[in-house]
Amino acid sequence: MLDNLSPKEKEILAQIKTVIDPEVAVNIVDLGLIYKVNCDEENRKINVLATLSTRGCPVGDTIFQHIETVVTANNPGFEVDVELTWEPEWTPEMITDDGRAALDGF
Amino acid sequence: MKAGLSTKNAPSPWVVLPHFLYGALALFVASILLFFAAGELSQFYLSPKVISLIHVIVLGFITMIIFGALYQLIPVVMEVKLYSETLAYITFFLFGLGVIMLSFDFWSFLFTTKVHTIIAGSLIILAVLIFVFNTLMSASKTKLNTIENKFIITSVIWLLLTVVMGLLIIINFSHPIFTTSHVQLMKIHVHLGIVGWFSMLTIGVASKLLPMFFIAHRLNTKLLKFAFYFINLGLVMLLFDLFFTHDLYVMTLFSVIIITGFLLFIKYNYDAYKKRLRKKLDVGMKLSVLAFIFLAISIVFGFFSTLTINFIRPYQTRVETIYIVSFIIGFLVSLILGQMYKTLPFIVWLQRYQDKVGKYKIPLPQDMYSEKIAKWHYYSFAISMILLFGGILLTNELTIQVSSLFFVITSLLYGYNTIIITFHKQKLEELKPAVKPGN
Repeated sequence: MLDNLSPKEKEILAQIKTVIDPEVAVNIVDLGLIYKVNCDEENRKINVLATLSTRGCPVGDTIFQHIETVVTANNPGFEVDVELTWEPEWTPEMITDDGRAALDGF
Repeated sequence: MKAGLSTKNAPSPWVVLPHFLYGALALFVASILLFFAAGELSQFYLSPKVISLIHVIVLGFITMIIFGALYQLIPVVMEVKLYSETLAYITFFLFGLGVIMLSFDFWSFLFTTKVHTIIAGSLIILAVLIFVFNTLMSASKTKLNTIENKFIITSVIWLLLTVVMGLLIIINFSHPIFTTSHVQLMKIHVHLGIVGWFSMLTIGVASKLLPMFFIAHRLNTKLLKFAFYFINLGLVMLLFDLFFTHDLYVMTLFSVIIITGFLLFIKYNYDAYKKRLRKKLDVGMKLSVLAFIFLAISIVFGFFSTLTINFIRPYQTRVETIYIVSFIIGFLVSLILGQMYKTLPFIVWLQRYQDKVGKYKIPLPQDMYSEKIAKWHYYSFAISMILLFGGILLTNELTIQVSSLFFVITSLLYGYNTIIITFHKQKLEELKPAVKPGN
């Protein structure tokens, strides 16, 4: 889902990688929680589509707020929208190899 | 609106935190009481000091923390806001006062005559009534019809029946209402509490939280549905038998139905444990796993306590004591000790840092307490339990007293971590933007 990213979108993804899930202490990109990063440079708009590992996640709001803060602070002049989706439902297969290694070592 | 997010539904932390502080203090008091109740506990569990000790643990520590945690967890499990924070405060004060008064009367053996005890019991019932109302009103707003919700809603109804039965027993001492013996009535009260209230609630909450913390998906929730019906059906029939028929064979049959329900719940969590992605367990989860070992011990002794085999009869009281102690002090206390580390740091973390994420370098919830101290009380608690079981089996007062010393250590270390989490403060360093790809 994160294929064909433009250089700017890759940059935004790297920014989002600094957001850590406070429960498992692993970044949310490696946990597979980010489905899409879209940057419309012409209209100065950034759209991030993300999910959570479980409904009712106690730190869900905080994670979304964190994404918005980080992306906004690193991309001045852009309108940032972080959208929550439950489709497709997150599964452990979405965790990257780095994420798995981090979870094993936790 | 982001459906499925719960943080905006979370109550003020000051609704939740006093429950954890009261609980930590109650655990310390209980550890001291265990030392002085050791003589009675080595003989019989339905004696005044033991009854006082058990009430300090089940009401002051376990139920108080469950109340606080539920105010935080209802938004997680049911995806709704708590109905009333004011009612939650009222529950806390009435319940906290009632528990102190009741435990004092039990310890002093005043409960057979005094109006004071009836007032204490009434305060507890009033607090529970308000709590049940608050929970059911919150639940009425949920759109989710999950099995976890059913467990929680059923548990609070059993809680109400437990405390009503408790008050009726106290009244029955001075103004007889029942023809059933006091020992039978207390067994009914105990089973309403441990099977109805604690088990239903624990299964409901643990079934949601443990897989979440283990990171385990695709679990068979049918196991939970069957567990729900088996335990409730078995409990209703067991209570009927204890009240009216007193047939030991029938009781054994009903116990088997309840135990089957528990085994299904254990299987569900064992699957979660096996499928978990987080291989290394933190101390909170280690304590939770330990809790399940005590649950298994309790099930075995609970089953033997219903058997009418000759070779068990001389040891009947010891078997029943281990069954009760293993469930309450082993399973429930261990689970609460562990789950405190999975809930309290998050509650405080969200309050302190929710609006600072991404702007400051902030600690993680697990950085807010000493893992080393938590590990020490994991071991001191395990040692305490081994000695306690040994003391009960050998009817040896000194062994139970030594066990209480390890329990004191456990409560002090746990209390220390509770306090440093609750009053956590840290100077924050501002974060500078500009993150390059590949970082």
